[in-house]
Amino acid sequence: MPESSRNTPKSVDPGRLRLDGDQASTGALLGMRCLDCGISVFGQAVFCQACSSARLEPVDLSRTGTLYSYTIVRVPPEGWPGPVPYVLGEVELPEGPHILAEVIDVAHDALRIGMEVRLALEEVQSGDSGPVFSVYKWAPATESTLGTGEV
Amino acid sequence: MFQFKPGREVVVVGVGLHPFGRFRGKDLASLAREAVVEALKDCAVKWRDIQVAYFGHVYYHGMSVGETALASLGLTGIPIINVENACSSGSTAFWQAYWGITTGMFDVALAFGAEKVPGGPVTVTAADSPDRYIGGDHMMAGYALRMRRYMEETGAPASALAQVTVKARQNAALNPYAHRKDTFTVEDVLNSRPIADPLTLYQCCPTSEGSAAAVLCAREALGRYGLDESRAIRVVAAALTSGNYNGRGSDHSAFSPYRTEPAAVQAYEMSGLGPEDVDLVQVHDAATIGELQQVEALQLFPKGEAWRATVEGRTALTGDLPVNTDGGLLAMGHPFGATGIRMVHETITQLRGEAGPRQVSNARVGMAQCSGAGDVTTVQIFAR
Repeated sequence: MPESSRNTPKSVDPGRLRLDGDQASTGALLGMRCLDCGISVFGQAVFCQACSSARLEPVDLSRTGTLYSYTIVRVPPEGWPGPVPYVLGEVELPEGPHILAEVIDVAHDALRIGMEVRLALEEVQSGDSGPVFSVYKWAPATESTLGTGEV
Repeated sequence: MFQFKPGREVVVVGVGLHPFGRFRGKDLASLAREAVVEALKDCAVKWRDIQVAYFGHVYYHGMSVGETALASLGLTGIPIINVENACSSGSTAFWQAYWGITTGMFDVALAFGAEKVPGGPVTVTAADSPDRYIGGDHMMAGYALRMRRYMEETGAPASALAQVTVKARQNAALNPYAHRKDTFTVEDVLNSRPIADPLTLYQCCPTSEGSAAAVLCAREALGRYGLDESRAIRVVAAALTSGNYNGRGSDHSAFSPYRTEPAAVQAYEMSGLGPEDVDLVQVHDAATIGELQQVEALQLFPKGEAWRATVEGRTALTGDLPVNTDGGLLAMGHPFGATGIRMVHETITQLRGEAGPRQVSNARVGMAQCSGAGDVTTVQIFAR
């Protein structure tokens, strides 16, 4: 598709994913950290989910985590814009939250509970004319990303 | 933690069911009404004595379906409340009916639920939600994530999970109201179409249509309404919870059985009973893994041991703790709004000793647990 006919990619969910720069391929998962009890949650919060404190600060969450569980989805939900089957991963971040997203760039037989994964942003379009979103996904953490994952 | 104090003793006097399955020519209100009529007949309560009605359903079929369903029984002017609480909508309606009576607000209440669930994978969010692009909003994929983790942590083989379906189908084969009555072997279950590995089709509940209803009354008021105590069953606990913080956040918790534990603790506290007193249980087995994790969360089996109990036949009709005696969601079917009250129907039927070929012997205490998206959990305990 020629560059000129593309929509500008938007964050799939601005409350959970901030895009940095024009490429929409770099950004960060957003969270809130409680200044009183110290827990972090994924996405936006008004009060702390654990202690109800109003003293929350926005944070960028870790870019790497471990695969807590995974499934190969062979019958997708209505509206799924990607190829089928796809791998859905539940990833545990060092701060605590579990985040569900597609796992890409991995052979099915290479998937292991406990494997380290890194944040990967991909542009996704529904059909030929639908809006283009930048979507957060997980990819296996390579040797080169293992050491630089934490921000 | 549990701050509510039950007041008057509440009993279930009547239950009714419409078969679960597919009924293309029947609208939701008609479907719902048929179970209500069965429940009214079951206890010979007069319609004009029903003082409040709660109707559980999820999918939109126009406004105020509860009122529409009941209009042809008579316009008595009672409050009728439409309840949406995901797969726990029916059991939430029951919870409201219970609390309306125990607090003294009403003597006689109706809880009913009905659904016509569309086919295909069930999602929680609206069709234009960003979650559809992220890929995590897929009910059975959520169960599959739990299942793989459970198998890794406990060493449960795939055949143990398949046995949950084998048992469910055996129970449903004895139940004329069930959506799925044909029986399977473990191999049949494992070889059925993969949905979200390791979950196969026969390990997922069908999307069903159907309805269920229950009539509740204050025990002390039975005589006032000419109701017979001989078939009445006591409600000794009715708990309803939403999510408690578990360290993982809400993105995960929609699929997590951790939320059942606080509701179970409340129910045991309310009833003064413990897991050792429970003779049979209905739990939310939308997928095979659901049954195993829910009976563990209810403290009926030690963590990680329910798969072994299943393989040993302990959860079968002839076992020491029969689970999902009518076939459960897996085989009885899952019309969301009806499911929680269907569990009440089965429990009452068993405790009355009226379950026919699937009757559990010496059933005195029965439990029902229902889960819904958004971290809803209900737990009820009934006693003869």
